[in-house]
Amino acid sequence: MTMSAVLDFPVKPEARPYLDAFDKIASEPEWLTRERQRALTRFAELGFPTRKSESWRYLDLQPLQQKPLLPAEPNAGAQDSTRAQLAALQLPGSGPRLVLVDGRFSPELSRLGDLPNGVWFSSTQNAIAERGGLFRELTDDAAHPFAALNTAFFSDGFVLDIGAGVTLAQPLEIVHLASGHDASYHTRSLIHAGERSRATVLEAYAGAGHYWRNDVVTVRLDTGAELTRAVLVEEAVQALHLAELDAKLGADARFSELALLLGGGTVRHEARVTVAGERAQCRLDGAFVVDRAEEVNIVTNVDHRVPHGETRELFKGVAADRAHGAFQGKIIVREHAQKVDAHQLSRNLILGGRAVIDTKPELEIYADDVKCSHGASVGELDETALFYLRSRGIPDAEARHMLVEGFLRDPVEEIADPRVRDYLLRRLTRRLEGLEA
Amino acid sequence: MLEIKNLHSRLEDGREILKGVDLSVGDGEVHAIMGPNGSGKSTLAAVLAGREGYEVTEGSVTYRGRDLFAMSADERAREGVFLAFQYPVEIQGVNNMYFLRAALNAQRRHRGEPELDAGQFLRVVRQKLKLLDIGDDLLQRAVNVGFSGGEKKRNEVFQMAVLEPRLAILDETDSGLDIDALRVVARGVNGLRAPDRSIVLITHYKRLLDYIEPDHVHVLQDGRIVQSADKELAAELERRGYGTFGEQPEAAAQ
Repeated sequence: MTMSAVLDFPVKPEARPYLDAFDKIASEPEWLTRERQRALTRFAELGFPTRKSESWRYLDLQPLQQKPLLPAEPNAGAQDSTRAQLAALQLPGSGPRLVLVDGRFSPELSRLGDLPNGVWFSSTQNAIAERGGLFRELTDDAAHPFAALNTAFFSDGFVLDIGAGVTLAQPLEIVHLASGHDASYHTRSLIHAGERSRATVLEAYAGAGHYWRNDVVTVRLDTGAELTRAVLVEEAVQALHLAELDAKLGADARFSELALLLGGGTVRHEARVTVAGERAQCRLDGAFVVDRAEEVNIVTNVDHRVPHGETRELFKGVAADRAHGAFQGKIIVREHAQKVDAHQLSRNLILGGRAVIDTKPELEIYADDVKCSHGASVGELDETALFYLRSRGIPDAEARHMLVEGFLRDPVEEIADPRVRDYLLRRLTRRLEGLEA
Repeated sequence: MLEIKNLHSRLEDGREILKGVDLSVGDGEVHAIMGPNGSGKSTLAAVLAGREGYEVTEGSVTYRGRDLFAMSADERAREGVFLAFQYPVEIQGVNNMYFLRAALNAQRRHRGEPELDAGQFLRVVRQKLKLLDIGDDLLQRAVNVGFSGGEKKRNEVFQMAVLEPRLAILDETDSGLDIDALRVVARGVNGLRAPDRSIVLITHYKRLLDYIEPDHVHVLQDGRIVQSADKELAAELERRGYGTFGEQPEAAAQ
């Protein structure tokens, strides 16, 4: 009997194929099977978000509504094409690396032999088998439709558990590859940073062909923990990339995230951060480049629930051709969260008449003793600056590239680790070489 | 080097600024163009450098035997024309060193010379830095971003020293400089004087000419050159002011 047959409430039509595709995985623990079924029921009620929902108003999910992309079957392991994708990323690190292919852990492409003491780093499936308690405790109930679908179907992901007081000298790398066969890849991951630990992770997403990636990452920072998460998205032209971050910060924790969105047919990056401990600092930065008919949507939501928190956001976007970019940034300061200091800036550049960028800052302040500000702009390339560069002999096209790159660099430069920062700047330069400025 | 004949130019709003400029600059010469505010000095510099927003309605400019207006702004620069800006532009996110190397390599490519790598470029730059009393930190910052007025002007002259143009046009490079900065700028310009290089100094004040001795001084007024003479003219302007020239155009034309 299929799932849709046993539900006694109206199922959204677009959810039905996914319900029919659901199969209990016999090898999984019972609690997980129950979680998955509960989430699937939730998804059946919700269906896909529509443009009526504020945080989804800028994305066109019509293609997904019309033609379902069902969860991928287990793959045959790493193929030559996925090896080539990995090589093409030219990742900077020589340290630990975890690679997922089509949503599943690839031991042959990963490098996990040499982990520092106090660090547990492996696939989500291994975590469920070996550390089920941690995963169960820290993974929240998924309220959003795609997160619910993710809970129902996630095939794998990664879990990083950093012990108290541990400092990781090298950045950890997580790579999501996709071979793209009209399927969806659902990955669920978790980073737990123990008290006063320090780490930098680089997550890269790349692929080929037509696919839908639905990625959910949970981040938990204990008291005084410091974590930098750099996300590089270089998905295929035909790919749909939907990613959600759910982070919770303890007292004195410092969390920095950079989303560098450089490719993919439709890319949505959502970061939800709950500042739950006093004096925690949250940095959310991002840069996107879209051209042709690409669309990108960055959604941030920072919720200050306690006093003395700090948020800094810097987002830059560039759109050319017929591309569409959108930034929606919400910062909430709750009634008792006095002395919060929050600043958000969204600056955007339009290259060419048919590109569009929407930017929508939103501050909800309920406390009365706070420092909060935001700024947003959408403009064109500065002709005076362009003339200055050309007056020194730099050809027009090269001068335009220099200006666009100069415009986009500063969010990336917020990354403290020089290896990751320089790597991401190289990827940015490479992306801009193909752009008609 | 540069032959300007009956040059007329107007702004996009139709206002005519240059009303028949004639000027001939020979190889190795230093010319000073002086004049009151609004006489067209900066427009002349902008038109020569190829800035958009100015329409040339009449006349011609020949640079080293070629029609200057047939070349784009960046092509002019690669052919050796350099404009030191009155108001240097701040360029966010573009490192000064990176920018200048790109500029120098664009010119070297144009001349069929091999490009300089970062190490070779640094050696070129080190020599010039010393000459202009510029600290390394200025190079590592974004182009002109957060520079003081004096630093910006020094950076212009520094770029000129690195790019070694054939024709350098300095648009009010002396304005807003204290005497020490003025000396440094003058040292940079004087260091570039060479038989195959010409320099046009556009200035409101005689002060700069105390440090850079021109071969010729011209007075630009209401879009025309109304007087040309040797450097003594500058001293005379300082005594009498610009007003007298406008009132006696016949005398000036003699």
